[in-house]
Amino acid sequence: MRRFLLTRFAQAALQLFAVGSIVFLLVRLIPGDPARAALGEGATEEQVAQTRDAMHLNDSFFSQYFGFWGRLFQGDLGTSLMSSRPVMQDLPNRLGNSLELVLVSLIIAVTLGVLLGRVAATRADKPADHALVAGSIFGISLPVFVVGTLLLMVFAFLVPILPPQRFTTPWQDPVAHVQILILPVVTLTAASCAVITRMTRAAMLETLSADYVRTARSKGLAEQRVIKDHALRTALLPVASATTVELTTLIGSTVLVETIFGWPGVSSLLMSAVGQRDYPVIQAVVLAVAAVVILVNLVGDLVVRALDPRAEEA
Amino acid sequence: MAPISRRHLLAAGGGALGSAALAACGSPVNLPSSMEEVTPRPGGPSRGGVLHFGLSTDPANLDPHVTTGAASDLLRQLTYNALLQYDGDGEIIGDLAAEFGWADDTTYEVKLRPGVRFHDGSRLTTKDVAFSFRRMMDEKTAATTGPLLDLVEEVEAKDATTVVFHLKQADSTIPFVLANPTANIVSQRWIESGVDPKTQVMGTGPFRFVERIPGVSTTYERFDEYFEPELPYLNAMVFQPMSDDYARVTALRTATVDMIDYVPATHVDVISENSRLRLASDRSFGFGFVGFVTSKPPFDDVRVRRAVAMAINRDSVLETALLGHGQPIDGALMPPAFARYSGSLDNTMDHDPEQARFLLKKAGQEGLTLPVVTTSTYSVIARPAQAMLPGIREAGVDVRLTQQEWLTFRASVEAKSYPVHSWGTAPKFGDPASLSDFLGSTGTFTANTDFKDERIDQLLAEGRRTRDRALRDEIYRDVEQRALELVPMTWTVRRQQGEAHYDYVKGYRHPPKGSWTGVTLRRIWMDKK
Repeated sequence: MRRFLLTRFAQAALQLFAVGSIVFLLVRLIPGDPARAALGEGATEEQVAQTRDAMHLNDSFFSQYFGFWGRLFQGDLGTSLMSSRPVMQDLPNRLGNSLELVLVSLIIAVTLGVLLGRVAATRADKPADHALVAGSIFGISLPVFVVGTLLLMVFAFLVPILPPQRFTTPWQDPVAHVQILILPVVTLTAASCAVITRMTRAAMLETLSADYVRTARSKGLAEQRVIKDHALRTALLPVASATTVELTTLIGSTVLVETIFGWPGVSSLLMSAVGQRDYPVIQAVVLAVAAVVILVNLVGDLVVRALDPRAEEA
Repeated sequence: MAPISRRHLLAAGGGALGSAALAACGSPVNLPSSMEEVTPRPGGPSRGGVLHFGLSTDPANLDPHVTTGAASDLLRQLTYNALLQYDGDGEIIGDLAAEFGWADDTTYEVKLRPGVRFHDGSRLTTKDVAFSFRRMMDEKTAATTGPLLDLVEEVEAKDATTVVFHLKQADSTIPFVLANPTANIVSQRWIESGVDPKTQVMGTGPFRFVERIPGVSTTYERFDEYFEPELPYLNAMVFQPMSDDYARVTALRTATVDMIDYVPATHVDVISENSRLRLASDRSFGFGFVGFVTSKPPFDDVRVRRAVAMAINRDSVLETALLGHGQPIDGALMPPAFARYSGSLDNTMDHDPEQARFLLKKAGQEGLTLPVVTTSTYSVIARPAQAMLPGIREAGVDVRLTQQEWLTFRASVEAKSYPVHSWGTAPKFGDPASLSDFLGSTGTFTANTDFKDERIDQLLAEGRRTRDRALRDEIYRDVEQRALELVPMTWTVRRQQGEAHYDYVKGYRHPPKGSWTGVTLRRIWMDKK
């Protein structure tokens, strides 16, 4: 286990280094000048050149590259070219806001998905199963921005019971916070819940026909116990793997959800940084999100090992 | 290493989730709820309240002298003052200036209001004013107003109340420059203390800076010692950037915000039909244009430029792209609001696909393939570009539109990678002298077309030197006439642009001429309980 952990941590560090280097290179290859973004459309060429110099954009590529890693190793994610604020001043809160959306959505999607998958599998080929299969296809097919816009239209205008409100933290007003959380979370949950429902259904159908389940039944165990202790437990293994994938999908989907619902998360920070070519912010956000994804995959692997000790031998 | 038990693993997972939830505490500053209270005053504007404003752009920086667009100007004018300003009718009036005017052809004098204080309590002096203009004229500042002050020789703090602008030669644009949203007056001591004015704010304006969270909010609260003792009526203003058109309009319609800027053309009707909302707009400033790279074939031939200009069906562009909310420009660029000659050039650039075909044939460009670039970032620019394609195709041109993200588009236009670009902007200020930006050989937009015409340069210089209004009208009419003949750019449509707010927001006026300015936001109040 120690060796596994060491190897995985080394891999994670390498992955982060690769992501950081690629992002550093790519953002500088995108056409568009941060100095131009900072000065607006009426700036003269001389003004743009002056500002590029002030932003150290005329320094050599390697000087910028090594400076970036040097500062990072000292725990400094850099300073925004636009706002002159240290990235660390904004990133943790914004990342926290996004993770709240993602994690609440994931918890609901997994809980509901496993429950519905179990219902579908135990009622295979019955009306409930057909309805759940059809519903899950619907959930998977609808793009996030369509679900979000529809929900907004229905609950903000047609039946205005959940109009969007100004962002409030749980500490300022817990009730208002939960209210503003509902629509974005439902939007994010729809597709993931559908995926997990189908995954659980398929895995359970497979395990329910396995020999050891038949043996458990033949020993006279109650059906509920067979399902809970034998079939569902084994079926959760592929679901656990799928969950890590869903989590990364959810992180990607927050870009749209945060825009639709005005949620002050990391995606909107990244969007505005890309629009302004704010290199330090782009690099910091991508690295932070990559770190979260890498960590999630690591935790996912650990969960799979915990659920299935055979994985360790493999 | 001891094996990790499943229970421990789940506990660790739960802990991680809890920590993440705890981290979820980033939010705009929490203003005391008492600030939201509005106190009615019989016979006068109510006092108090917090106005929440949905802003189309999150300004890149808050430097009082560097603009990144209309949204940043709007923020700037609430915390800083200039010497002059525009009133609700678009006329130039004093801001920090109690008196102002020409002493002679090359001397402009301004007398300051007494008792003006900065937000740190210090008094405004004429030295601060002279320092502010020196800062604007310093190339290192990259001030937006800097190039407009090119004819200023010296700014002199003559005595305790008088500031004198000594000019190299007469310059009729000076009052417009002094009223520019980025000609703000700063404290010399504050700037020289080493602050970063991109992130810190300290002016003389009616509102004081409280906090800015990039991409989330910028918060201001009232400055109790503002030199107009009545103002401001509001306790605070919170600006939330909402760059997506639909998100911004939805935020207004659901009362998440009280007011928004940049009402998209597609939503003008939705807002106008809502009895609780008010639209304040103009059809003077914002316009679309198509620029040609005049230094390279085929657009070094004026016949080809004219052919494309005549092929554009401006009425159709207006209807399709802006749902009729604006006006086609088939003549002068300057609108009647600030150019009396404007109407005399109407119908000069009629839609005539047959004539366009003929001109292309004469120029040997039949079946021309035309790559055009525009931006996908701003619908107000992208939609007119898309809507002009059928008209151009009707003239037998194989037009191919490429849409690029804003800064990529800017890079393409500057590099002249495409022979034609479709853009949208506004004049710098409400005077025909703004034409130099688009037609003068040193203009910022002219740089993208490589256009240079000695006659136009000569006329623009003459117009700037002249103060006689009738003579200026003649000069600028000639400039526009010549531009319509040489067609380095062709204007397409003037768009309706404005702000929308709830009916309980009182006192706001959108300027009909002069400049897009948020200066009347200083005087608004809320008439609600």
